[in-house]
Amino acid sequence: MRGHAPPEAGRQALAAVATWLGQFTPRLTLEPPDAMAAEVQGSLRLFGGIGRLKTRLRTGLAELGFEASLAFAATARAALWRAAGGGSPLEELPVEITGLEPDALDLLHGLGIRTMGELMRLPRDGVTLRFGRGLLAELDRALGKIPEPRLFFVPPARFAARLELPAPVTQADGVLFAARRLLVQLEGFLAARQAGIRGFTLAMMHDRALPTPVAVSLAAPSREAAHFLLLARERLQKITLAAPVEAIRLEADDLEPLPGATAPLFRDARAAGEDWTRLVERLAARLGGGAVHGLAVHSEHRPELAWRSTAPGVKAPAALAPPGPRPLWLLETPRRLGEGDFALLAGPERIESGWWDGSEARRDYYIARSGDGSLAWVYRAADGWYQHGIFA
Amino acid sequence: MLSVLPQYAELHCLSNFTFLRGASHPEELVARASALGYSALALTDECSFAGIVRAHVEAKARGLKLIHGTELRLDGGMKIVLLATDRRSYGAISALVTAARRRSRKGTYSLSPEDLDRVRESEALLLAVPEEKKGSVPIFLRKIGTDPNFAGRTWIAAELHSGPNDRARLNELRELAALCGLPLVAAGDVHMHVRSRRRLQDALTAIRLGKPVAECGRALYPNGERHLRLRTRLAQLYPPALLAETVAIAERCNFSLDELRYEYPQELVPTGETPSSWLRKLTEAGLCRRFSGGTPPAVRDLVEHELRLIAELRYEAFFLTVHDVVSFARSRDILCQGRGSAANSAVCYALGITEVDPGRMSMLFERFVSKERDEPPDIDVDFEHQRREEVIQYVYEKYGRDRAALAATVICYRPRSAVRDLGKALGLSLQQVERVSKLLSWWDEKSALQERAREAGLDPHSLQVRQLLALGQTLAGFPRHLSQHVGGFVISRGPVAELVPIENAAMRGRTVIQWDKDDLEALGLLKVDVLALGMLSAIRRALHFCGMKAMDEVPVEDPAVYEMIQHADTVGVFQIESRAQMSMLPRLKPENYYDLVIEVAIVRPGPIQGGMVHPYLRRRQGIEPVTYPSAEVERVLKRTLGVPIFQEQVMQLAIVAAGFSPGEADALRRSMAAWKKKGGLEPFEERLIRGMLERGYRREFAESIYRQILGFGEYGFPESHSASFALLVYVSAWIKRHRPDAFLAALLNSQPMGFYAPAQLVQDARRHDVEVRPADVCVSGWDCTLENRAVRLGLRMVGGLPEAAGQRIAAARPFRSVAELARRAMLNRKDLRCLAAAGALAQLAGHRRLAHWLASGAESRPALNVPVEGAIPELAAPSEGEEIVADYASLGLTLGRHPVALLRARLDRLGLASAANLRKRSHGSIVRAAGLVTCRQRPDTASGVIFVTLEDETGTVNVVVWTNVAERQRRELLTAQLLGVEGRIERDGEVVHLVARRLSDHSQLLARLAGPLAARSRDFR
Repeated sequence: MRGHAPPEAGRQALAAVATWLGQFTPRLTLEPPDAMAAEVQGSLRLFGGIGRLKTRLRTGLAELGFEASLAFAATARAALWRAAGGGSPLEELPVEITGLEPDALDLLHGLGIRTMGELMRLPRDGVTLRFGRGLLAELDRALGKIPEPRLFFVPPARFAARLELPAPVTQADGVLFAARRLLVQLEGFLAARQAGIRGFTLAMMHDRALPTPVAVSLAAPSREAAHFLLLARERLQKITLAAPVEAIRLEADDLEPLPGATAPLFRDARAAGEDWTRLVERLAARLGGGAVHGLAVHSEHRPELAWRSTAPGVKAPAALAPPGPRPLWLLETPRRLGEGDFALLAGPERIESGWWDGSEARRDYYIARSGDGSLAWVYRAADGWYQHGIFA
Repeated sequence: MLSVLPQYAELHCLSNFTFLRGASHPEELVARASALGYSALALTDECSFAGIVRAHVEAKARGLKLIHGTELRLDGGMKIVLLATDRRSYGAISALVTAARRRSRKGTYSLSPEDLDRVRESEALLLAVPEEKKGSVPIFLRKIGTDPNFAGRTWIAAELHSGPNDRARLNELRELAALCGLPLVAAGDVHMHVRSRRRLQDALTAIRLGKPVAECGRALYPNGERHLRLRTRLAQLYPPALLAETVAIAERCNFSLDELRYEYPQELVPTGETPSSWLRKLTEAGLCRRFSGGTPPAVRDLVEHELRLIAELRYEAFFLTVHDVVSFARSRDILCQGRGSAANSAVCYALGITEVDPGRMSMLFERFVSKERDEPPDIDVDFEHQRREEVIQYVYEKYGRDRAALAATVICYRPRSAVRDLGKALGLSLQQVERVSKLLSWWDEKSALQERAREAGLDPHSLQVRQLLALGQTLAGFPRHLSQHVGGFVISRGPVAELVPIENAAMRGRTVIQWDKDDLEALGLLKVDVLALGMLSAIRRALHFCGMKAMDEVPVEDPAVYEMIQHADTVGVFQIESRAQMSMLPRLKPENYYDLVIEVAIVRPGPIQGGMVHPYLRRRQGIEPVTYPSAEVERVLKRTLGVPIFQEQVMQLAIVAAGFSPGEADALRRSMAAWKKKGGLEPFEERLIRGMLERGYRREFAESIYRQILGFGEYGFPESHSASFALLVYVSAWIKRHRPDAFLAALLNSQPMGFYAPAQLVQDARRHDVEVRPADVCVSGWDCTLENRAVRLGLRMVGGLPEAAGQRIAAARPFRSVAELARRAMLNRKDLRCLAAAGALAQLAGHRRLAHWLASGAESRPALNVPVEGAIPELAAPSEGEEIVADYASLGLTLGRHPVALLRARLDRLGLASAANLRKRSHGSIVRAAGLVTCRQRPDTASGVIFVTLEDETGTVNVVVWTNVAERQRRELLTAQLLGVEGRIERDGEVVHLVARRLSDHSQLLARLAGPLAARSRDFR
């Protein structure tokens, strides 16, 4: 079958459809970018014949949001071609559906061969000589003259496990003990795959309410249950439950490769780095994700834009020295100054920049002593004097 | 107040010839420095001299002292500026730049501190520009400070730009200077002439770094201080001593590009002769050959006059060099023809540089011999385009690769490329940029940008778009890179590299100098234009078919030829084959050689915009009396019935009617070429009109002359070029009239060239009863040949077939089968497929499909044992439509029916008439017609009209599309292959036009010709 999905979805969409198709047959192969083949011979009776199966497939795919062209044939190759050709009989399909190189198609046009039927009537040895053995083999596979072994689709790795609690729990952190069991299970699952994760979701299931999901994210990929538990605890402590918890469910996907390195015997320097990472994680877990961020110098002439906040744990690009004397404290909005409010000490440093985004700065900066004796960073713009920062 | 301003010379200044760094033209910098009262300006483009001639010309005009130098970044990071003090140091710097450029790929360079040895012996001055970095003294500075060779001519440049702390920076530099024992001097690191170019400079930086300007951060300059600053401002920034030092340095630099003149090659003159005596000997020998009955006195006088002026101005080398090149071409039977003012002199006629008899023309010799002008004579020589390379190789061999080099062509930003680069720099999405730049089709002017932006779905009032448009206007016209000129050679006495730097071109093994043709001309350097002209190749081949050797064997002034020309039966004829020319011919009715000279020059934007065409035609047809305001004017304009048509006439008018000197008249000519871009004709207007009024001309006449000059603009065509072209017009027309078979075969063998594609040439020849036979492996040679006045298409017409394969086929005949052909001519499968596609295997294989089957069955590499051909399938013969489509795809033409003929029934049903039908309609009738689009053309006139030529089985239809229709139906106009036109017939004698009101695209009908499942639409051009 062939479907239409937004291109960026691509393989992922295909995999999603394949997962859904798994209920009809396990013998599925993906034909990127937009097709797949399913062997349904064995399941035809189960689903009540081709007609019914077609209807079910069409409705189901439509529900998934895909529009598909379905075709049935004795071989996967022929079915795929027919689906590509809008369902016409194999003989009448245009030769283009073979996906031959432009050169070969050009020759077919030169010979006046337009359909698969015409192609199949050409002398076999002549075809081999002109198009190589590959084309004949494809034709034979479509006709079932030679078998075509295919790699079956394997659903993606994903962890999901559920645990019923022996008795309903009313305090969120009360689920920790049960969660630990699942997290350990997750660690085993990850270890077997040499993988780590950047986050997991712990859902608390209630009897008569929607589950309460707790999404935990990590600063770096990890697979240590103890680490997971620590983070889960920080989050659970802050949650008030709407209803008692009957069961919990743990889900994790998007596995990343994470080789070797099981628990170290001794805490080493690397571990010290990890401690820093964990501090950030714990702070973030306690204060909420948005409250903790890093700070980096940004390459930009306008001082108010010459810094950036970063996600915690993200390394700033190579350290950039400030271009000149810069106060550590920059006023959020520059403060308007009167002429006599300050005495200039050094400058000017001229900054003219930023015309491209509509907030162009054209300023002469000075270091000045203000009335209260502090060192101020002031500038003159077209419309007067402003204080922009404080040195000390 | 002025007296307290410090004197200042800017010693470090980049123009936009430092690509993507400098944000001002050299001329702008010079003009600004002069206006600011600078003592001097050094143009120091990074590792380049490409902008210095323009600066030199401007500086001379403004009386500003110009210094030549270059900025270089050495391996290790030190930036330096070298300044030339005299010819020798100039040559040394030029050689250094050459060395740095030649070892790197195009657009880059590399230079180690050791390379400075090249300037060690010269008197070049060196400014070091240390980075703003605290700490250790750069090794380079320590070394150069103690190098006795550089003692007294090395400085440290103090460049202050209102940075974080200028005072501290200056102190730092002072300490550094003291440590190294070097003096300090002020400099500006100038990147633009005025501060307002800052945005453009930022944008250039972004383009250079290949990212949006918003992401460039501190890679941009923090402010716009790198401009030519007011001297009051400099006085605030720098201590007086540092400013005074700039002037002291400038005083040591006394090299002017004017010194490069007269460095002509010497080997053209045998020992014992002077250039003058040798030129005279060659001229006299030539006169004997040309005039067996003795030189006519008028020509003799002309020769004496010319030789005297040539000697006086020391121009012998030009004539000797061109003579040498032309003699070489003659010795190899390469047809050539000189053109340009000097080319049509009596001396050049004697030397065989031109075939235009001076007795037949009134030449304007002053154009190249004005004593007031420092410009060399203009001689371009056209050669057969397919053999020009032989001439180029000869020049290299004769003078050596180090003394002869091809001039550059400066490739400039055009509106489209400016918008594309700036769009990216301003952060527009790639799609948006592509949309805007695509919409800027080839006829758009700068002013169209705003409208285009709207069409592309961009808000023309948004900040980004306003900035894009504003910056785009300035960036358009900026130099972008240097490319190789088509054939302008500079030949020098010493190594070229000491005259001008040489750098690598994009093509491997090719080099290019950093000056273009205009630069060479401005400096009066010896330049020879070795140009390629396809028509010369065609003429030589056609003459050969006719059993002639040279153009002078063609009978002159044949009335039958002029009759053909008068009916605009000129497809394929040199110059007069374009739509505009063809519609002029029946009106102008040329009847002699000089009429052709006029015809060639009059259908140009200059005369058209100057309003000369209609007055001339009316006078010629006797509708309007021919009058002259004075006897002087009559002398100038008599040959064109009182209407100025040639560039020379405008200049002469200025001389005789307004009292201009020849030098001033030439300045006028050059301003005419430039005023569209820069303006600047106003001083001439005043002078011209005053001069004419003083001499008793009516103001009305004076103003009409001025308007005509404006109209001429950059498009005025010189009579001297026209005269040479007219000769080729006549010769090619003679061949077409008397030997259309030879004409067609020669044109096909010289493709690509000219206005028409092979399909139209063949159609035209068949209308003239020439039989054209198909390309056939059993008879065709590589070239098209004549079979008793029938044209046999050559294998060269077979698309994709390599020449070597074609030659082998011609040599290996006869064959009885495709397999035998493959074996004996050693053809691979690809060659055979090309032949099958062209229908050239018909004799061996049958119809095209069978030919494809057999061709594709051959081994992909020729083997000794060709396999048996195996079973041949039953393949139905292709339809006529398929055959025609396949013909076009391979040969670019068909010998079968015209593709439109097959669609006639359908077109009839659609109410679309044929070309033949249109010819019968009366003036003013409204018709609908359709045909294959064979040509879309927008003449250079600004009126915006577009000419489209439609072709069907009955002939051609000339369609005129005015701007409003073109704008409304842009897509149909630009993309339709089969175009339907509804419009009005306009008739003027034999000339019939269809003025379009509505266009329709019927290309889908063509696609069906090839069958129901044709892969893609084919190109019928």
